Amino acid sequence: MITTTSPATAPVAPMSPNAESSLPTTAKVPSRLAGPRPAIGVPFTRLMHVELRKMLDTRAGRWLLVGIAAIIAIALTIMFFNDGGQHSFEEYLQATTMPMAIILPVVGILAVTSEWSQRTGLVTFGLEPRRIRVAWAKLLSALAVGVAAFALALALAGIAHQAAITFRGITADWGIDGLVLLGAGGYVLLGIAQGVGFGMLFKNTPAAIVVYFILPTAWSILGSMVSWLESAAEWLDMQRTMQPLFSGSLTGEQWAQLGTSVSLWVVLPLAFGIWRLTRAEVK
Amino acid sequence: MITVERLTKRYGPFTAVDDVSFEVKPGLVTGFLGPNGAGKTTAMRVMSGLTPASSGRATVLGKPYAALPNPGRHVGLLLDASAQHAGRTGREVLTLGAILMGVGKHRVDEMVELVGLTEKEANRRVRNYSLGMRQRLGIAHALLGDPEVLILDEPANGLDPAGIRWMRDLLRGYANEGGTVLLSSHLLNEIERVADEIIVIGHGRIVAQGTKDELLAGAGTYTRSTDDDALLGALAAQSIVAQRTPTGGLQVEAEPIEVGRVAAAHQIVLTELRGGDSRGLEEMFLDLTADAAREEVAA
Repeated sequence: MITTTSPATAPVAPMSPNAESSLPTTAKVPSRLAGPRPAIGVPFTRLMHVELRKMLDTRAGRWLLVGIAAIIAIALTIMFFNDGGQHSFEEYLQATTMPMAIILPVVGILAVTSEWSQRTGLVTFGLEPRRIRVAWAKLLSALAVGVAAFALALALAGIAHQAAITFRGITADWGIDGLVLLGAGGYVLLGIAQGVGFGMLFKNTPAAIVVYFILPTAWSILGSMVSWLESAAEWLDMQRTMQPLFSGSLTGEQWAQLGTSVSLWVVLPLAFGIWRLTRAEVK
Repeated sequence: MITVERLTKRYGPFTAVDDVSFEVKPGLVTGFLGPNGAGKTTAMRVMSGLTPASSGRATVLGKPYAALPNPGRHVGLLLDASAQHAGRTGREVLTLGAILMGVGKHRVDEMVELVGLTEKEANRRVRNYSLGMRQRLGIAHALLGDPEVLILDEPANGLDPAGIRWMRDLLRGYANEGGTVLLSSHLLNEIERVADEIIVIGHGRIVAQGTKDELLAGAGTYTRSTDDDALLGALAAQSIVAQRTPTGGLQVEAEPIEVGRVAAAHQIVLTELRGGDSRGLEEMFLDLTADAAREEVAA
């Protein structure tokens, strides 16, 4: 018979700093939460809150934002010293918006695909089985990040322009057309929505990212080689249909072209992606 | 309370869960036992609304899972301890759950303490967690919303014997307060140590279910005496089947009390008398495991 010492008197072994903590010797029963169990579902605002937090609480998410900040800082610094800093507010805005428009869609993609690649979907859809609400929460919180980013882009461009006026003595040029502003904001937000849509469609990070970045380029190359694709591109290539926004005036046909291309690249992937998300088996 | 009625899940020609029905009652710990690939996980995913059933249905607390309002406050799920974002800290994982369920941050601290993660460990990223720590985090997450029902898939995987004992105590206490627990395992002795009721599943079908005592009983009696030959004869005279075991002693197909009576009537001195080993369940389980292993080799 082996003599056992009771846990209370057992000597505590010294722990190395990397040792894993041991479980408590006696299991406690978790305390009960006060009040009745909820009879109403999770409010949508809470879903938004959680999805927003999930975009920013991982290293991948944070590094993407740090990356954007770094690129913007470099771009502004170069502009500040190039040509004596003589650039209009609009040009500074372009410099701050561009990096966001390119990189933020990846945040949108990751917001969806990480549920599958990191398999957190088991928890996410376990806590909110009405998946369509999760899908909307993801889209809207990603767009909220976009709106905040665009506001920041405006502020940074303003500060840079003002700094150039104050310290480099350039002529102030604050003028900006409403359509250009719409174009710049739309550029950022549509890219994010497209990213979320592609994420839902592919459920796989590398596939969604590659297709998101390769497709427009491939489209442009093909378009320049095949003539009938060239004419189709006028209606379907978002890179092209968005251009008139930056020149400040759009004809009726150009609006229609913009609408068509946005339907194809943003609305359609989102609609089909949400449909897939609500039906896919979560593993 | 979990009710599964004639549940079937097919993947193309493969039937993962085949016409399964059972009930998981409150106040008990129910073990879901089967070799890997038997259909445990699929069945649990259907119960949790993550996988649609091909036919049949599963309800939790009387409703399909998807119809539960704020399900985290009713059902605690641990379907895969590794299914956590590697880049989040353990505390962040719990905080996200707490926000969504609306239970307040103090609950996070309580759960971290309950599963014995230190402050430093809770603030470490899940990437750096051992499987045992992930399991503890998963259990903490499942208990976060103070649920009535727990559905745990292989929660003891990666826990050491002390950890398994801790979990047994935890689940026992939880069930004693009226909670419903369903936990799966592919290890018989793990289930034996934790569960009150056992459901054995193999090839997607239920092959046995009942209380642990029922399933482990019915294995007859093992006995030794100073004169096994005389005892064998005396038992045969009462038409009780008995046979010698290779290691000495007798395996008798009767309850211990009957064997004792026969021995007393013939004044045979018993040196050992006890219920037989749980050979029935173990053999059935080994057969299932062997089948699964053969299929793996064949595949």
